[in-house]
Amino acid sequence: MRLEKCWFCSSTIYPGHGMMYVRNDAKIFRFCRSKCHKNFKMKRNPRKVKWTKIYRKLHGKELPQDTTFELERKRNRPERYDRNVVEDTVKAMKKISETREEREAQTLANRMRGKKTQQRREDLAELQQGIHLVKAPTALLEEPSLTLPKEKMKVKVSVEQESKAMES
Amino acid sequence: FVQMRTKLNVADNSGAKIVGCIQAKARKIGGSIGDVIVASVKEAASGKKRIKKFEKESTKVKKGDVVRAVIVRARMQKGRRDGSHIRFDENAVVIINKEGEPVGTRVYGPVAAELRAKKFVKILSLADDV
Repeated sequence: MRLEKCWFCSSTIYPGHGMMYVRNDAKIFRFCRSKCHKNFKMKRNPRKVKWTKIYRKLHGKELPQDTTFELERKRNRPERYDRNVVEDTVKAMKKISETREEREAQTLANRMRGKKTQQRREDLAELQQGIHLVKAPTALLEEPSLTLPKEKMKVKVSVEQESKAMES
Repeated sequence: FVQMRTKLNVADNSGAKIVGCIQAKARKIGGSIGDVIVASVKEAASGKKRIKKFEKESTKVKKGDVVRAVIVRARMQKGRRDGSHIRFDENAVVIINKEGEPVGTRVYGPVAAELRAKKFVKILSLADDV
């Protein structure tokens, strides 16, 4: 029994799932579900289809090349059964998957770095542009307490004031 | 399912090119990978072309012959014991005689492993890929 990888989305195909398609040049394509199979029949390139692992790795959304993937590489030579080897392999699998998860979390953190400040900047801009939706501009002039938050300075306090005003 | 009138390619060098199914021997509904069918040869090689330098196209089977054939590749998927399904790009047969031995000497293209269960070992051994 061998766990294969779906040709389209790269997910594991467990026994009892999926379809195998053999082309006339004897190239075998395995699919995990009909979604991937149908996409293949539509002649879609998995490198361009956003939800596939191939796309994500290509566009830096996920850990692309790492030594933790080496253990899973396909080997065609059968190994003689050795209990110690099996034990070590099981231990290694655990450790390697842990390190891979850590590294993937790290890549995610790297990717999302600076998102908070960018989000805040975007929110500020939205506030400044759309404050007329909350309170009429004339009202803004009348009530001096309602001040639009200035960029970079005292952002937290002003935003809090603004949210209070919105609630009332 | 491969039924009466289904046209199938011939995946060996018996001389026939296209074969039309007359009867699927295995089931009433039709044949699938690994089943034997009775077919009539629709198109056959003329015998004048040369495949290689000292090998001419064989004419063991002529147009209009009624032959037995085993389906080696089918477009319709076939389920396997482990739950997976397999399908090919075309419908193809290998022409056999009454004993189940292939008439041709070569088999072209990949061939389904289902043949082993049906005891078509010779075809499997001649095939490029299983």
